Amino acid sequence: MRAPSRRAVLRGSVGLSALASGVLAAPHVNAQGGKPYAGTTINGSCFQTTYFEYLKNYFPQFEEKTGIKVNFNMQAFPVYNQRTDLELSTKGSALDVINCTFIYSGRWIGAGWMTNLDPFTKDAKYTPASWDPEDFAGGPQSAMKNAKGETFGYTWEAGAMILGAARYDLIEKAGLGLPKTFDELTKVCDAIHNKDNVAAFTADKLHHWNWIPYLMGSGGAVFKDPPDNLTPTLNTPPAASSAEWYANLLIKYGPDGILSYSDDQSMRSQMSGRANIRTQAITWMVPLAKHDESVVKKTVRYGLMPEGPKGNFPGSNSHGLGIPAGSKKKEAAWEFIKWALSRETIAMVVKNHGYPSVCRMSVIKSPEFKEVLTLNGQDVAALFLEVLQLGGKTGYMKYRTVPVYPQVGDKINKAMERIATKQQAAPEAMKQAQAEAIQDLQKAGIKVDT
Amino acid sequence: MHALALALLLLALSPFLWLVLMSFKTNAEIFRFPPRLLFDATLANYAALWTSEFRNSFANSLVVSVVSTALSLLIGVPAAYALSRWTTRAGGTVTLWILASRMAPPIAFTIPYFLVYRHLELLDTWTGLIIIYLTFNLSLVIWMMRPFYDQLPRSLEEAAWIDGATMWQGFHRIILPLSGPGLAATAILCFLFAWNDFFFALILTRTEAMTAPVAVVNFMNYEGWEWGRIAAGGTMIMLPVLVFSFVVRRYLVHGLTGGALKG
Repeated sequence: MRAPSRRAVLRGSVGLSALASGVLAAPHVNAQGGKPYAGTTINGSCFQTTYFEYLKNYFPQFEEKTGIKVNFNMQAFPVYNQRTDLELSTKGSALDVINCTFIYSGRWIGAGWMTNLDPFTKDAKYTPASWDPEDFAGGPQSAMKNAKGETFGYTWEAGAMILGAARYDLIEKAGLGLPKTFDELTKVCDAIHNKDNVAAFTADKLHHWNWIPYLMGSGGAVFKDPPDNLTPTLNTPPAASSAEWYANLLIKYGPDGILSYSDDQSMRSQMSGRANIRTQAITWMVPLAKHDESVVKKTVRYGLMPEGPKGNFPGSNSHGLGIPAGSKKKEAAWEFIKWALSRETIAMVVKNHGYPSVCRMSVIKSPEFKEVLTLNGQDVAALFLEVLQLGGKTGYMKYRTVPVYPQVGDKINKAMERIATKQQAAPEAMKQAQAEAIQDLQKAGIKVDT
Repeated sequence: MHALALALLLLALSPFLWLVLMSFKTNAEIFRFPPRLLFDATLANYAALWTSEFRNSFANSLVVSVVSTALSLLIGVPAAYALSRWTTRAGGTVTLWILASRMAPPIAFTIPYFLVYRHLELLDTWTGLIIIYLTFNLSLVIWMMRPFYDQLPRSLEEAAWIDGATMWQGFHRIILPLSGPGLAATAILCFLFAWNDFFFALILTRTEAMTAPVAVVNFMNYEGWEWGRIAAGGTMIMLPVLVFSFVVRRYLVHGLTGGALKG
């Protein structure tokens, strides 16, 4: 018998190694069992919000189902936005799933810092038809799209501005109902202010969110034609008179210190029964009826945002989940988004935790959601839906997602403070805001009409 | 006169007293109007801090502040001494350049630091924060300590050298003990800078190395603020500074004014 040659031995060794590695690898592949991303770890981030606090409880379900491990970190709203803006602007790969914050959506999407999600939703390999991207309400979802209509995020939260009267009993006692127009709002405030030591109206200092529906209802606007023409229109007569009217509402009918109120302080002023009416997103209205510390649970009633002579423009906003352009685990990230925003998951969060601001129409129209948002016998779910539809119809909220809005909004806040504290008359204050806004826009390289 | 001083003291301390009182109140009590001075105190806010991530952030703050202060003194004090005894014109120029790190607002350094740190994988680490605080504190140490050494007569260390001490021994055994008040004042300022820093900790940390000032902000949730925890966190953040200042208070006043006038 001839001894095997060196080449034959080598060939045999290679063959054996290949066989051995195949045998060893096989159980690993099989173990994945339809889990192509098993073993992947994705990093997600969002500002602190109850939706993700609730959702975190179900992460083990997702991890079990996909084999993907999720590190999800939540920070305070300003902290999150600051950090994420820096991460995105430097094309980092530290994050795989992020919240696309409404006021930054124009900037983050416009700058190409987010991943186009259409290739995922349109490919059956990644997304089954039953996931149904069209089920997301159009109004909130519009903030997650670019000018070409490509989608960069799917919304998990829709803020819909409604009116909440913490002490409706005082309004009833005055022989009035929930105000439906600006004039009625003033009339109601006049009738109930300081009755039972309750201020008639409250708001927070984010005037560039709270005041704009009143501005639009009076025929004014922030920009000429956003997002195409961003020439500010803050110095127009309707803007000045509306600013004066709103500042008056704050100082005449608000509790002491209203001009420095944060969102939370304003909500607390209602919850503790110190202030009555507020127009704000539903997220801050539901606690009046549900929060353990609310003393107005039984007296709170809700209505649509009052209407101005030029119509009704309740504020609506949305936050969505997206994937940073720099992420190196986009497929796994999409798996997470697909799960987190599936009809089943959202319905589960609504049912088990009573979360009130969801964006899937099928959930919003479900009996469970209606049950959650039936407050003091009122169908608040219907109000929520009406506002979402209003916002989606004419796209009047586009002013808020333009990349320069944070800067322009800051000028609006300051102008309102000057008017309310009588440092400046409304026309002068708005004229100054206009000049400062133009300066900001020009600094950002945006053309404005002269 | 004493009554006036007491009144002024109360006025100056009232925001802190308000914060401390708030930390022992429930949310409902915090928003009670008019507020009550006598109420049922609760430790719930402190207990909540202990069970939250704040505990780790507090430890992070302690570690990075203490280590960066110690390193700043370890490197900066000999440097200040050397620059004090270096009599050439270049000495002044070098001292001026050391101040460069303080010549621009921190935000000007943010993006370069962030990018370099990401590349070096120093984001969200103790080391990363310690390096940053060390960088900024070094100039403070050198500029505060140099006038102290300028004030001390050279004859002291020369006498030691004549007695056979090396330059290091002269510094270590003669000069350093004499600069105690200056060291205490400088240490407390370095510690305060690192301890109170919000901006760099905000940008350069995520979860693992997050410091206490950033962790407190995290109690400002989107849908509502946790006022009691914010107050308890604020009180906890004040505590080490108070303790540290108390320990070195004997040296503090002298240290801050010493070296202001050259002999």
